[in-house]
Amino acid sequence: MIEKYAEIIGENELDAIYRIAEKLKGLSVLHVNSTPKGGGVAEILSKLVPMMNELGINTQWKVIRGDNDFFNVTKSFHNSLQNGMGNLNQDSFSIYEKWQDINASEIPLDYDVIFIHDPQPAGLIKVRKKGKWIWRCHIDISNPYPPVWEFLRKYVQQYDAMIVSSSVFGREDLNVPQYIVPPSIDPLSVKNREISRFTVERILRKFDVDPQRPLVTQISRFDRAKDPVGVISAFKGLKKHIDAQLVYLGSPASDDPEGDQVYQETVKAAEGVKDVHLLMLPPDSDLEVNAFQRGADVVMQKSIKEGFGLTVSEAMWKRKAVIGGNTGGIPLQIIHGYTGFLVNTPEEATHYLIYLLRNKQVREKIGQDAREHVRNNFLMTRELRDYLMVMLLSIQG
Amino acid sequence: MVASFLDLKARNPFEFYASYYPPVYAGRKAYTIEELMDGIRKVDGYSIFYHVFHPIFSSHVVPQDLHNDFAFWIRDELHDESLAYKVSDVEGAEPKTVEQVRDEILKILESSQNRVRADRPFHFITCRPVIYDTGKRAWSVGEFIDVLSSITMRSVVYHFVFRRVMGYSSRNDFSAWLEQEFHASALADRLSKIDPQTYVSEEVLREDILSLVERVIYS
Repeated sequence: MIEKYAEIIGENELDAIYRIAEKLKGLSVLHVNSTPKGGGVAEILSKLVPMMNELGINTQWKVIRGDNDFFNVTKSFHNSLQNGMGNLNQDSFSIYEKWQDINASEIPLDYDVIFIHDPQPAGLIKVRKKGKWIWRCHIDISNPYPPVWEFLRKYVQQYDAMIVSSSVFGREDLNVPQYIVPPSIDPLSVKNREISRFTVERILRKFDVDPQRPLVTQISRFDRAKDPVGVISAFKGLKKHIDAQLVYLGSPASDDPEGDQVYQETVKAAEGVKDVHLLMLPPDSDLEVNAFQRGADVVMQKSIKEGFGLTVSEAMWKRKAVIGGNTGGIPLQIIHGYTGFLVNTPEEATHYLIYLLRNKQVREKIGQDAREHVRNNFLMTRELRDYLMVMLLSIQG
Repeated sequence: MVASFLDLKARNPFEFYASYYPPVYAGRKAYTIEELMDGIRKVDGYSIFYHVFHPIFSSHVVPQDLHNDFAFWIRDELHDESLAYKVSDVEGAEPKTVEQVRDEILKILESSQNRVRADRPFHFITCRPVIYDTGKRAWSVGEFIDVLSSITMRSVVYHFVFRRVMGYSSRNDFSAWLEQEFHASALADRLSKIDPQTYVSEEVLREDILSLVERVIYS
């Protein structure tokens, strides 16, 4: 499986993975998270765990369980850690503790290295018997709701190391080593692998999009953080100059009660604007996402609040010039003027849409540099290597 | 004559190791020149290495015309081009170590009158090297050149930059080996003069090392 990546990352990079993994051979490793599928964490674990086993590291993956009360509490944790606001009471913390105890009694935790992903299972550390414990935080904890962070911090302090996705998410109130490991995309997945021009055009036509005319795409949930109304506004500005089309592709999210409301707001904002396609497809529409990213002349990710925003890397990997919001992990992926453009307002987005659609050579050069930036920094093999190195450094103390 | 020099066998081979430098948040950030100076004074040597020398890897993005993270941030956030260029061009050739580079950058910053407060802070990052044996060995200068032309640049930077600037050796490993095994002082001295701080592409460094070796050997 790992060998397949040689032609993408080169033999030297692959050789480094094998040689670093050699130092970890025979270790037992456990990953613990809160969901077996759906979401970025499960997606990356479904690839990383077999790869680590292939490298001779005995790796297992366990999922904690809980009732609706527990997952409502952890959802509130998640939101309050990312947004800095919250409304939790003592009962919430008791429910969290109760399910940590239940899971600790059910999951064997006797491993050399244990990766705990995100806040949901973080409290398992309290029953630690042996091994090195590493907390992998996939979310933005730079501006958390203080009561929730204080509750979580007392667990995090007990870990041997933690991993954050960006230095921007690092914290100054911890004395645990905070390794910086950005998330990654799998270049061989259905969402990212090469597909034929014929397939791209077939899918575009299926949704009444004309492959011969300029196309702008944004792949995002209908969520205010992704600024869909701002995307429409930027497109309206573009339409005054260029006869382009817009595809905004989202998926219904069962855990997002605001989704439908935001969708309606977007529909209203798009009223009277020609060539706007607001598509709501099932969450597993990976081939369609691939096709709309490849079929686009310019891709947008005009978020006003973002975690890491891996859809940016997905589009960049497909050699697309991306216009992204200047927030969260997007500036790590888009180096303004080199691998894309960062914007703060719809007007700025309109400006760069016009610039890029008028200048094919510029967008091809940016697209090529963007792909190399992703190859160097945001592919899954890099994340695998980073995990191996964090394990090694943690064991060496 | 040249052919025989290239084929001379060393008593000890050059053993090619390589290293990655996983970044670790250093727990401090800066919004102003004063805070930047405070951070530069207090972070460990690995942090200076990471911000000043690690951008030699193209995966560590800085603009082509600025050579290190400090200069990039000063221009982008404090809008001080003149200061950014001075910090960008700080000398890193032998025998400078990260400690001397740290002092030199502080000296440049102390003379600044910039009082701008950045919208986005500078995040100090440090790193921990993860070193591995590539398995490659060179027993002669000829073999050394052959390996150098294809080996991972992680190895070249480890031997040519990291060990020397971190003070693990007083001279880069290539020059030390060429001098010790072949008394090739002219070649060793010329290599020592290459300043790795001004490179922002590892492949350009490789080309420059190889073409210098070729020039000296065939001159």
